[in-house]
Amino acid sequence: MNNTRYGELSLHRLKKIEIVMNAEDHGLVEDLLKAAGIGGWTIIRDVAGMGHSGFHQGKTIFNDQSGLVMFVGVADEKAIIDVARGLARLFEKRPGVTFLSDVEVLRSDYFAATQTAQ
Amino acid sequence: MNMMAPIAIVEPVLTRTEVAGLVSLAARTVPPIWPLESAIAVNPLAGFEELPFEQAVSAAAQRFSARENLPVDQWRTLLRAGSIDQKVLRDVAIQELGGLNSAFELIGPDVSRLDLLMARLLDLPVGAGVTRPAMLSPDADFIAKWCAAFFDQGRAASPMPNRGLGFYRSVLAIAGHDSEFRRLTGDVGQKLLLSIPRDPLEAIAEGFAALGICHGEEEDLLAGYVARLPGWAGHIRWRNEHADPEYAAGAPAGMADLLALWMLLDRSGAISTGEARTAPSDVSAQLAERFNLTSDILENAHEAGRRHFNEIANLDEGKLGRMFMLAAETSYRNAVVPQLRAAADAPGSDEVAEAQLVFCIDVRSESFRRALEAEGRYETFGYAGFFGLPIALHKVGKSRRTRLLPVLLSPQHDVDEGPAVGREREAEMVEQNAERTQHTANLFDIAKQGSATAFTTAEVTGPLAGLLMAANTIAPKFVERAVSRLRPPREDAFAPSLEKHADHGVHPAFTFEEKVGYATALFKLTGMKTPTARLVALVGHGGSAVNNPYAAALDCGACGGHAGGSNARILTAILNDLDVRAELAKRGMNIPDTTRFIAAEHNTTTDEVFIFDQATIPESHRPDLSALMTSLARAGSANRERRSVLLGRSASDVLTGAVHWGEVRPEWGLARNAAFIVGPRSLTRSIDLEGRAFLHSYDWQSDTDGSALTTILTAPMVVAQWINCQYLFSTIDNDRYGSGNKITQNVVGGIGVLQGNGGDLKVGLPMQSLFGDDGTAFHVPQRLLTVVLAPFDLVESVVASNDILERLFGNGWVSLVVIDPETGKALRWRRNCELSESAATHQSL
Repeated sequence: MNNTRYGELSLHRLKKIEIVMNAEDHGLVEDLLKAAGIGGWTIIRDVAGMGHSGFHQGKTIFNDQSGLVMFVGVADEKAIIDVARGLARLFEKRPGVTFLSDVEVLRSDYFAATQTAQ
Repeated sequence: MNMMAPIAIVEPVLTRTEVAGLVSLAARTVPPIWPLESAIAVNPLAGFEELPFEQAVSAAAQRFSARENLPVDQWRTLLRAGSIDQKVLRDVAIQELGGLNSAFELIGPDVSRLDLLMARLLDLPVGAGVTRPAMLSPDADFIAKWCAAFFDQGRAASPMPNRGLGFYRSVLAIAGHDSEFRRLTGDVGQKLLLSIPRDPLEAIAEGFAALGICHGEEEDLLAGYVARLPGWAGHIRWRNEHADPEYAAGAPAGMADLLALWMLLDRSGAISTGEARTAPSDVSAQLAERFNLTSDILENAHEAGRRHFNEIANLDEGKLGRMFMLAAETSYRNAVVPQLRAAADAPGSDEVAEAQLVFCIDVRSESFRRALEAEGRYETFGYAGFFGLPIALHKVGKSRRTRLLPVLLSPQHDVDEGPAVGREREAEMVEQNAERTQHTANLFDIAKQGSATAFTTAEVTGPLAGLLMAANTIAPKFVERAVSRLRPPREDAFAPSLEKHADHGVHPAFTFEEKVGYATALFKLTGMKTPTARLVALVGHGGSAVNNPYAAALDCGACGGHAGGSNARILTAILNDLDVRAELAKRGMNIPDTTRFIAAEHNTTTDEVFIFDQATIPESHRPDLSALMTSLARAGSANRERRSVLLGRSASDVLTGAVHWGEVRPEWGLARNAAFIVGPRSLTRSIDLEGRAFLHSYDWQSDTDGSALTTILTAPMVVAQWINCQYLFSTIDNDRYGSGNKITQNVVGGIGVLQGNGGDLKVGLPMQSLFGDDGTAFHVPQRLLTVVLAPFDLVESVVASNDILERLFGNGWVSLVVIDPETGKALRWRRNCELSESAATHQSL
C-alpha cells in the first residue's frame, strides 16, 4: 500500500469500486463483496439515470426492489479486483455498470478486507 | 487395506467471488419461500420473469419437470362451466393457425385445419402428459433429509449437532456416519469427505474443475441443482434475504452450502437423472378417424396439408392448454372491460356519505364492499392493506418481531405493543394466560419426548385429549365460545404504541414528519377527498382457521401474511392526532373536527368485522358507530350467503368451518382472482366483479406527475401479480408448484409442509385451495388483467420509466388495459413493445 504524507496528514492509497445495478439484484452484489472479504460498503438507493434502455426512474414509495442502487466499496487492490472478476460473470446475465478508481483514505484499517478462505 | 479409489487432485479455475456470483445467479431459479407463520404468495416462476411468459413457462417446465398448463380435461370442464366463451376459443384457434385463410385451409374433403384443431381442443383424448415418480430420488432425498434436520426451528427433540459450523460443514461432519451417504456415494464419497474444501465456495470451484465444466456452463449446472429441491432452496433464500438476522443465528446456511453438497454427490457419481417423462401426445389415428381421413386421402394430400395434419396431431397438452388459457383471459376481458368503459364517465356521488371505509385491495374486499354499499350511503375505497406503514410490531410475549408490511419493503419503524387504554387488567390476564399456556406446552413437549415419560404422558393426557377432540368435532362453535369466555380476546387488550420505539424506548416509533407523510399518502394514493365523513374506518383483514398450516395464507399479503388490524390502528391513531390534522390542513387536506377515524378488521372467513378500541370512540359518534356496525353485520351476512354457495354449503356451516379443527377449506381465499383495477369506485361500483378483482382507488386528476400511479403499479400491483401467479401455477401443476393434498401433508420444523414423511418443502398452495372436492378446478388459471382509468400519456410515461412494469407488461405476465377518462376509449398494451414508440405501443381492443 502506497501512502501519501501531507505534513502530519497521512493518506493511504486504496481502490474504490462503484457498482450501479437494479435494486432487485442488490443481494447478488452483497454476496460478491462478502465473498471477497470486504466488510463494509455504502448503498445509495433510488439512483436515477439515463442508460441504454432509456431513463430509469428513481424513487418508488412502496417497493425497495424497484429502480437502481449504487454500491460504493473501498479496499485494497486485490480484494477490489476480486470483486470485479465476480462482477464480470454477473454482468453476463444481469444489467449493471461498475467503475474502479484509485482513492486515498484517512483510516486504512476501516477498509481492510478480511481473510475469508478457510 | 484401503479400497478407496484415488481422487485426482484438481486445481480450481474460478475464484471464490466468481463462484459467489454464479451461486447467486443460480439461486434465482427459485423464489424465496416464506415460512408458514408468515406465508405470503410468491410467483414460483419469478426467476423466469425476464423471459416472455410462454418461453418462461416452457423453460421452467423443463427445469422443474413440471406441467406447462392445466390438463385439457380440466379446461374442458371450465369451458362447460362457462369460464370460457367457446367463440373466443375458436378465435384463439384461428389466430394460432395463422389467421382466417390458414385456418380454413382444407386438409381433406370438407375438413379444415380449424376443424382438426377444434376437435383436439374439445373432444379428442390427449396424451398422458407429465408422469413422474411418487418418491424423491435417493440423492435428493439425502439432501432433503439433512435440510429438514438443519433448518428445524426447535421442534426436534434432538437437534442436529454442529449447526454452528454452517449447513455444508455440519453435514460433512455427519455424513461419514450416515449409511445412506455410503450407499449413495461408495468409497469415492468417503474419500472426498476427507479431502474436499470445507469452504462451500471453494468446494464448488474445485467441483467445476473436477467435473470438467466449461466456461459458461457452470450456472446451468448449479441452477439444475437448485431446481431439484426448490422448496428447501427457497427456504434458504428467505432465510438469507428476508429473515431477521437472529432467525439464522447459530445455524448459518447460504445457497452455496446447499450447492456444495450437490457438488459432492455429483463428484461421487451419485446424481440421478431423468425424474419425469413426458408422454408423446400423438393422436393421429383418432384425429384421422374422426374426420374420415383415410390413409389414402392423407397420402394424396399435398405436402403442406400432411404437414399441417401432423402439426395439429402432435400438439402437446401444454400448447392446447395455452390456447384455453388465452381464451379464458380474453373471455374475461371481453366481459369486464366494456362494462368498465361504460362506467368510465360515471360521476361520483355528491351525497354526503354516512361513513367512509378504506378496505384492503384484496379480492375478498370487493364483494364485501358491494354488500355494504347496498346497506346505505357508504363510500368505500381500496388501499394496500398495510395502509402504507412499513412497520414491524414487537408483540407482548413474542420473542421475534412481526413484519407487517409487503415483502418488497424493509421495516422502517419498530413499533412496541402495550396494554390498550382502559384495558390494562385484561392485558395482564392475557399475558398471564399466554405464559401459562406456553409453560404447559413446554412441559407437555418434554414429557412427550422423554424416553421414560412418553408412555405415561400418553396414558394420562390421552383420555382428556380424546374428549377435547370429540368436543371440537361435535360442537366446535360451543367449544370456541367456552374458551373465549375463559380467556379475554387478545385483539383489544393490547394496542400498538406509536410513541415508543421497540428497541430505543426513548425515541418515538414515528417522527411527526413521518406521521404526516403516511397520513398524506392515504389521500394522495386513493384520491380520497376532504371534507371526510363523520366516521372513516380503516379496515384491515385476516382469516380464521384452526389446525391449518396455511392459516397465514388467508391473512393479508400486504401485511406479510398477517392480519392487518394493527396497521389500521396505527394509521387511525395518526389521523386522529390533532397536530397531524393541523399540518394536513396547511397542505390542503382539511379533515373536519367532526371526523373520527376508527380501526377495524374484516374476518374474510366469517365476514364479521371487528371494531378496535371502541372505548376510545367519543359519545358524539356512538350513534354513527352503532349504525355502521348494524350495516356491517348485515353486509357480512349477505356476503357470507354469497360465498357459502361457492363453497357448496350453508352460511352457518361457513361459521362452523372457521373454528373446526378438521376443516380443510375454511374459505376460497383469493381463488379465481383475475383483475387489478385502478380507478375511483365510480368505475366499478355498478359492476358485480364476483370477488375476482383487486380494487385500488385512484384519481388521475390529483396525480399530474404520475407518482401515485407509479407507486400503485410498482408495488400493490406487483404483489397482486405474485398472488395471481401463485394461484395460476399451483393450479397448473399442484404437485410441482403447489403443495398437494392437505390430508397427507406434515408440518416440518415449524417452517413448511412436506408430503408424507420426507422430501422437499412444498412451495405453493394446497389442492383444497384451488380444486373442488370432485377434483375440478375452482380457480381459473389466467394471468392478471390490469385496468387503469387515466390518460394514455400518463400511463405510458409511468410504464416507460419503470423497468419492472416494462418487464411484466412487455413479457406478457400481466395484461394492461388503459381506459381514457375523457373518451372512454380503451387501449391495450402491446406485447414486446419498444419504449420509445408511443402511439404504436397501443392496440385497440
